Amino acid sequence: MRGAEVEREFIEAGKPDHPSLIDPTFVVPELYNTRNVPAVFWIDESGTIVRGNDPVYAVRRNRETGESTTNERYLEAVRDWVRNGPSSIYVTQPAETQRRVGSSDDANDQAMAHFRLGVYLDRHGHHGEAVTQFKQALALKPENWNYRRQAYNLGSADEYGMTMQEAMQAVGPMYAVPLELPDPPAG
Amino acid sequence: MPATILTSDSESVAADARRDGDALWLRNDELLATTGWEIKPEGVCRGELCVPLPEDRAGALLTERDGATWLDVAGFASFVGLDTAHDAATDTWYFGPGPAEGRGQLSMLEAPDFELPDLEGRMHRLSNHRGKKVLLALWASW
Repeated sequence: MRGAEVEREFIEAGKPDHPSLIDPTFVVPELYNTRNVPAVFWIDESGTIVRGNDPVYAVRRNRETGESTTNERYLEAVRDWVRNGPSSIYVTQPAETQRRVGSSDDANDQAMAHFRLGVYLDRHGHHGEAVTQFKQALALKPENWNYRRQAYNLGSADEYGMTMQEAMQAVGPMYAVPLELPDPPAG
Repeated sequence: MPATILTSDSESVAADARRDGDALWLRNDELLATTGWEIKPEGVCRGELCVPLPEDRAGALLTERDGATWLDVAGFASFVGLDTAHDAATDTWYFGPGPAEGRGQLSMLEAPDFELPDLEGRMHRLSNHRGKKVLLALWASW
């Protein structure tokens, strides 16, 4: 089972009351310069990013035990932003927002071209050619976990000569920009 | 020979594309239909953005053939710095967004706009939510 049908299972199990969109060609990771999922962005009423690239899930479900954990601290930060807008302590200042969102990266831009071509090729039954493109993407930007996770998901780690564990040891952590939430004010 | 042309937001086929070494020649009508770029007197244009071709480049990147003007889109992409990927076996090309799109917006912390479908096929555009706060959460099932 691939693509939208996999996502459908997750979306329907989650029963969200917000729109869940399907992005099979990775339009948004390209536009938003992300390196992994989850990646959460706060966009204000004027279309400005006021907090970005948070590596959080609101709710995490343990696939083995079925137990759900809600990230209450993050949800409270979101509610605070909804109530207080730009004066919320959880909104980041532009320089900090820019640091988290990341800036122009020629290697990743070129890697993204190979990756998106690979995604297309795999979807159209050209797996070998897709692997060639994924390898080029990973050679250029080994720390882009979107590429590695998707490539391994469509094939296997064997095709890339490195398990996910080995990659983490060689390349670094899965989330380069950790979540840093200020403490809520006392009282 | 047909070439499949992929851009940041489109997938289409240029039926009459011609490959010649590293060059990929598209006739102006197919160039516009597949990439959004168009050969005009001012240069090679996309919407209001026109890239003038210096004389020495114009000679290499443009040609007249069968009563139409053709552009070596691969050479042009290299000239303007569009990231490119190519699969020779399937004649598939990917041309990335230019510096005016996406990357420029992000460096100004403007949320880049996009339009994507939900599972029922209804399209949703981010900019339709201007005037409200939006939480954009990227996730995957892996």
